[in-house]
Amino acid sequence: MGWLQVKRLLMGAEAIAEAAINSGLEAYFGYPITPSSEIMENLAVLYASHRSDRFRVYFQSASEVESINLLMGAGAAGHITMTATSGPGLSLMAEGISYAYTSEIPLVIINVNRGGPGLGNVAPEQSDYLFVTKSLGHGGSKPIVLAPSSIKEAMGQVRMAFELSFKYRIPVIILTDAIIIHMLESVDLDQLTPVSVDANWSARGRNGGARHLINSIYLEPAEFSKIKAGLEEKWKTIEPLGECFMCNDAETLFVAYGISARIAMEAASNMRENNIMAGVFRPITLNPFPGKMLVDAAKNSRRIIVVEMNEGQMVLDVQYWLRRDVELIPFNGGIYPSTEEVIERCK
Amino acid sequence: MKQLSAIIPGAVNTYCPGCEHGLLLKLIAMALEELGITEKAVMVGSVGCSTLAFKFLNIDYVQAPHGRAPAVMTGIKEVEPDSIVFAVQGDGDALSIGLQELFYAANRGIPVSIFMYNNMVFGMTGGQMAPTTPEGMVTMTTPYGRDTAKSGPPIYSCEMLSGLSKPSYIRRVIIAPKPIQLKDRVMYSSREANQSYKAIISAFKTQMKGGFSYVEFLGTCNVNWKMSILDSKKYAHNVSAKVYQPALFRDKFGVDFIES
Ligand SMILES: Cc1ncc(C[n+]2csc(CCOP(=O)(O)OP(=O)(O)O)c2C)c(N)n1
Ligand code: SF4
Repeated sequence: MGWLQVKRLLMGAEAIAEAAINSGLEAYFGYPITPSSEIMENLAVLYASHRSDRFRVYFQSASEVESINLLMGAGAAGHITMTATSGPGLSLMAEGISYAYTSEIPLVIINVNRGGPGLGNVAPEQSDYLFVTKSLGHGGSKPIVLAPSSIKEAMGQVRMAFELSFKYRIPVIILTDAIIIHMLESVDLDQLTPVSVDANWSARGRNGGARHLINSIYLEPAEFSKIKAGLEEKWKTIEPLGECFMCNDAETLFVAYGISARIAMEAASNMRENNIMAGVFRPITLNPFPGKMLVDAAKNSRRIIVVEMNEGQMVLDVQYWLRRDVELIPFNGGIYPSTEEVIERCK
Repeated sequence: MKQLSAIIPGAVNTYCPGCEHGLLLKLIAMALEELGITEKAVMVGSVGCSTLAFKFLNIDYVQAPHGRAPAVMTGIKEVEPDSIVFAVQGDGDALSIGLQELFYAANRGIPVSIFMYNNMVFGMTGGQMAPTTPEGMVTMTTPYGRDTAKSGPPIYSCEMLSGLSKPSYIRRVIIAPKPIQLKDRVMYSSREANQSYKAIISAFKTQMKGGFSYVEFLGTCNVNWKMSILDSKKYAHNVSAKVYQPALFRDKFGVDFIES
């Protein structure tokens, strides 16, 4: 097989759907919302054409409230399950995510960040950052959050999300936006293989063994405190990921994730051509936040500039870790940064 | 008596004295045993007094958020079609916050069994109005009686689900035992438990044949009705069963065997 057969030019949504199938997706449930619907539509075609024996369940739910609970059922039964949504839908899923967190149910949600708050618009923003990283669900639930900055990376992160969700038995969010979903990129479809999962903890009936309880109610404070301590211990073992782009000798260090990081990287490269030593630190896991890596990356930098598509959200994490002045270049309302504008604004 | 494999050895149910929630769980355990499906059973916990079922039943269990059990059940059944999936939902859980999830599971005909305990109030949270509270009934949030001019009439779930084509078994029974006044004491009839048991068996049989089943059980909540146990049983028979008449609404597979 030559490379021509495997390299294909795909739109983000299509690539994510393909990646999900190749990585062993078993059940998809979703409720349409722009700009996430293309993921669901692509999966509908792949499901109807029996592209994968493992992909056995697909249907459109009645709401995002139903979606998250359908996911909880499939996840509690030990199967790889996923949905895609956008801000308003994610708000509706928050209760279920909290239950899934304490019950340790693996499930994956792709959140295509649109303009908010409110109905906002369907243009790209990064305004769900604090919602997904700090309080997605009541009671302090903390899903893992991944943020791709290219289609290729989004595909890899779908597989990674399946793996992490089962390894840690935790909900995993992929936070992306309409630019990545609608962009075209040439990708290699053969690189992803199905994730194999251990499901011997799951609820499928006792089948001769001991019963399994997938539960989030602990009425005894002492018992619940112990359960929460266990969840914290588990959380601490999750590895934060980040990427350094010309950080070592960067006097000006951009900190950005997702599509903003891509633009910041271009800006940094252009600035270097004009002898401004710029670099970029890009968090890949937004939760856990790669704070120690950031501290290390920022060691030699004079200026720290956060570029993000909101009023200033990740900047709070950057300030927390660096404990120094941090500049912010915000874009919002669906206006996204151009390289020139970023360069202009840091003059 | 023989220990049922679906009941945790030595478990005591923690329901208020005189409540039929515990009886319902026991009847479910007996039905699982009789049909030989205990090993395949997964209970989805709803939120309400039935939440504590996992301390009593010794089977796989997944806790759903308030009202969402039918969605969680659907998720499990879709990926594990050989399992036997059921829930006990309160009338608030099923018909107030969770009406949409119930409606959609029923409309899709998902082969699961829903046992709805209708005590006409929110029991666990202390006796507030439920969608099933009859006209005029006093609750914590309707201190002068339910005013249906404002709140709308009570919701008849079996009748509502009968408007859908996919459900295969829909039945209403009364589970509160009928008081029988003897000369010197009161006895309780065993007929209600018997019929309830038969309805559970029929619901599971329907699920095993691939259909959606829903049984509404008229039960009591003497604590929140603020009545003696005896009066609550009388109320269930004199009021509940008049507002909500026990009947067989749907039986596509001909599995029902309750004598009329
Ligand atoms: C989202 C949410 N809202 C409210 C509650 C509080 N709550 C717990 S149980 C319940 C009502 C239970 O009534 P019902 O379903 O009739 O069951 P019962 O206790 O009477 O058996 C409510 C409102 C909750 N747990 N979650
Ligand atoms: S509060 Fe009511 S429904 Fe709940 S256990 Fe007590 S009597 Fe039963």
